[in-house]
Amino acid sequence: MCGSGNPCWGCGRCAPSPMLLLSLLLFAAPFGLLGEETRQVSLEVIPGWLGPPQNLLHIRAVGTNSTLHYVWSSMGPPAVLLVATNTPNSFLSVNWSRLLSPEPDEGLMVLPKDSIQFSSALVFTRLFEFDSTNMSDVAAEVPGKLYPPYSLAEFYWNNITDSLDTATLSATFQGHPMHDPTKAFANGSLAFRVQAFSRSGRPVQPPRLLHTADTCQLEVALVGVSPQGNRSLFGLEVATLSQSPDCPSMQEQHSIDDEYAPAVFQLDQLLWGSLPSGFVQWRPVAFSQKQGSRESALPCQISSLHPPLAYHLPQSPIVRAFFGSQTNFCAFNLTFGASTGPGYWDQHYLSWSMLLGIGFPPMDTLSPLVLGIMAVALGTPGLMLLGGGLILLLRHKQYSEYQRIN
Amino acid sequence: MEEEEEEARALLGGGRDEAGRSLLATPVAARVPSALCDPSHLAHRLLVLSLMCFLGFGSYFCYDNPAALQTQIQRDMQVNTTKFMLLYAWYSWPNVVLCFFGGFLIDRVFGIRWGTIVFSCFICIGQVVFALGGIFNAFWLMELGRFIFGTGGESLAVAQNTYAVSWFKGKELNLVFGLQLSMARIGSTVNMNLMGWLYSKVEASLGSTGHTTLGVTLMIGGVTCILSFICALALAYLDRRAERILHKEQGKTGEVIKLTDVKDFSLPLWLIFIICVCYYVAVFPFIGLGKVFFMEKFKFSSQAASAINSVVYVISAPLSPVFGLFVDKTGKNIIWVLCAVATTLVSHMMLAFTLWNPWIAMCLMGVSYSLLACALWPMVAYVVPEHQLGTAYGFMQSVQNLGLAIISIIAGLILDTRGYLFLEVFFIACVSSKYAM
Repeated sequence: MCGSGNPCWGCGRCAPSPMLLLSLLLFAAPFGLLGEETRQVSLEVIPGWLGPPQNLLHIRAVGTNSTLHYVWSSMGPPAVLLVATNTPNSFLSVNWSRLLSPEPDEGLMVLPKDSIQFSSALVFTRLFEFDSTNMSDVAAEVPGKLYPPYSLAEFYWNNITDSLDTATLSATFQGHPMHDPTKAFANGSLAFRVQAFSRSGRPVQPPRLLHTADTCQLEVALVGVSPQGNRSLFGLEVATLSQSPDCPSMQEQHSIDDEYAPAVFQLDQLLWGSLPSGFVQWRPVAFSQKQGSRESALPCQISSLHPPLAYHLPQSPIVRAFFGSQTNFCAFNLTFGASTGPGYWDQHYLSWSMLLGIGFPPMDTLSPLVLGIMAVALGTPGLMLLGGGLILLLRHKQYSEYQRIN
Repeated sequence: MEEEEEEARALLGGGRDEAGRSLLATPVAARVPSALCDPSHLAHRLLVLSLMCFLGFGSYFCYDNPAALQTQIQRDMQVNTTKFMLLYAWYSWPNVVLCFFGGFLIDRVFGIRWGTIVFSCFICIGQVVFALGGIFNAFWLMELGRFIFGTGGESLAVAQNTYAVSWFKGKELNLVFGLQLSMARIGSTVNMNLMGWLYSKVEASLGSTGHTTLGVTLMIGGVTCILSFICALALAYLDRRAERILHKEQGKTGEVIKLTDVKDFSLPLWLIFIICVCYYVAVFPFIGLGKVFFMEKFKFSSQAASAINSVVYVISAPLSPVFGLFVDKTGKNIIWVLCAVATTLVSHMMLAFTLWNPWIAMCLMGVSYSLLACALWPMVAYVVPEHQLGTAYGFMQSVQNLGLAIISIIAGLILDTRGYLFLEVFFIACVSSKYAM
């Protein structure tokens, strides 16, 4: 609790200061970002206006004095808006005619406007495929020769209403390219499975990220798509909104704990500002089998965040509608797997998960089982040594008394 | 792992062997032109000594091949850690039984010379089968290979000891045991640091990774076993020649093992067995799984991870004789055992709960391992009457192998489902449970 890398035991006199700092921070932090134990979470597909269904999913997580809104949409490239408000009564207002027009500004709003404490967005813009043969150097900057990338803005997405599950609070966007000359997606698809949570917990499926009521999990799965090469690696381009001229910061956290994701000691985070603020976190691991067993674990490389210079990112209408046209973006690439080892080619399956949320990112702690075993394992011999020492001491005393009497 | 017995014998001051007394300086071989060819001459004994050292080199080199190539094996054979650790378990299974019969086989069935040749033949065949399993992409064949390898491995060490006693008894025996032990450690170390490099070279020449690359690499590693086999042949020839010239008897282990003795073992002896098992299972399976741990948790490169994984061996090579002498001088074996256990506990906790440089923890583990080996094995001699000593040592090695086989499997299982932190906690519990004894 005292901050990473800062051992809090044995601090002595200076011990209160980090706590003080934390409590000051907590008081200073706006209500919407403080996080809550449980929330009333509702998933709603906002009905379209006319014509084909427009996938617009609204996740509303209501707490005692804050509301979080996650708005997912596959209009244009798949995108999500994160909005935190400091009132339990804020709501989403959609003006479809404006949202579907070429100038969608203000077509989508969270009201009342002055209750908004934090807002940002993520856009998933492109799916990359690399030819990794002859790329033995794992640490190389480029994972291989790049095939023509798939633009996710030019995908056809299924109707999200069909996959909406209010029991598990999840929904899946499943898509394939509108133009698929190589028929790569004939038997396959790219899926974005979104799940919200009403309380904290941990899924059964690796990498078992700890979630809270303030977070929302995204699982990206590529299934059954025919790769263009024998050893194709896939990658994903993600764009984020940056309010300041600088890009959001990327953090690599190293921990001692790999109980929930065996042999993965790292947690990557994207932070939009100083905490508490919006965050995205993930373990740098993807899986090439559905069970997510350890032998199917793929390393996940990440590029640095950079302003997209080379080309214009495809516009997401919901991001444009909420933030207006004067916005800056930063982008980063994720690459799954390496030229050696398990890969997508094994079973034509790839899945990767991330958590996005608002407030303080969830932190893993040592599990009760580990602590229990440690307590018993170290406590028992300690107690026995102590007991043995006492017995020896007492015996010695008796013995000496006995001697004295004689 | 059988070298502990060597240590024990070395420390006990000469072993229990009655054979090989006739190396007294009565040079019959005046006609022999050079000192090197004269069996009674020091130069000749040094030649024999180097052959003895290289006799064990192959088996130690190949024993830890799986640890050195853990990532490659798991990737190329597509096995999880549980299955990977079976490679170690299959080595240990035959030795649960063979520890009792190795001496018997050498003394009564084969004789020392043929025994050595047969056992080194077994490790050659085992390693070749192991490698073929890689080439044919058959993991069961690899397991079979390790089983055959295990059948020869531990017994070969007994044979090596017997040769040493036969040639050096009453002369430089302690030094010889020390050197053999160092050589064993060097074999393990060289393996840890060489195999990864060898794999990348084979990969470069074959053009890709995969089970064939793995198999070819293991096959090349098997050259060390052939070297051992050649040493066994040379030793058999020289030993026979010495017998002819010096009228020297064929060496015998002199081990008398009576399984019925087991029921007479005292409580302290059983405690020593348990301590032995609990300690060794927290060191060797960890080394078997260590490479990936250092690569993932501490971001070591493959070479650096191999280097640190072999540091326990590197340290114990020079330290074993030193600590042996030290424990001999001071006595108080129990105190030293407790110290070694406490140090190991600390080093495991450092590895589990801190991100400190793991070199500190591994060096600590190397030192404590050397200390424990020197202090624990001679303790058996204090609590067992001499005529039961052979049985006691055989039994100790047997339960140690049994423990290693079982814990190897459990360790792999834990790692696959719960990760390294939990595995370390499990090892800590193992080490700590000894204190409760």
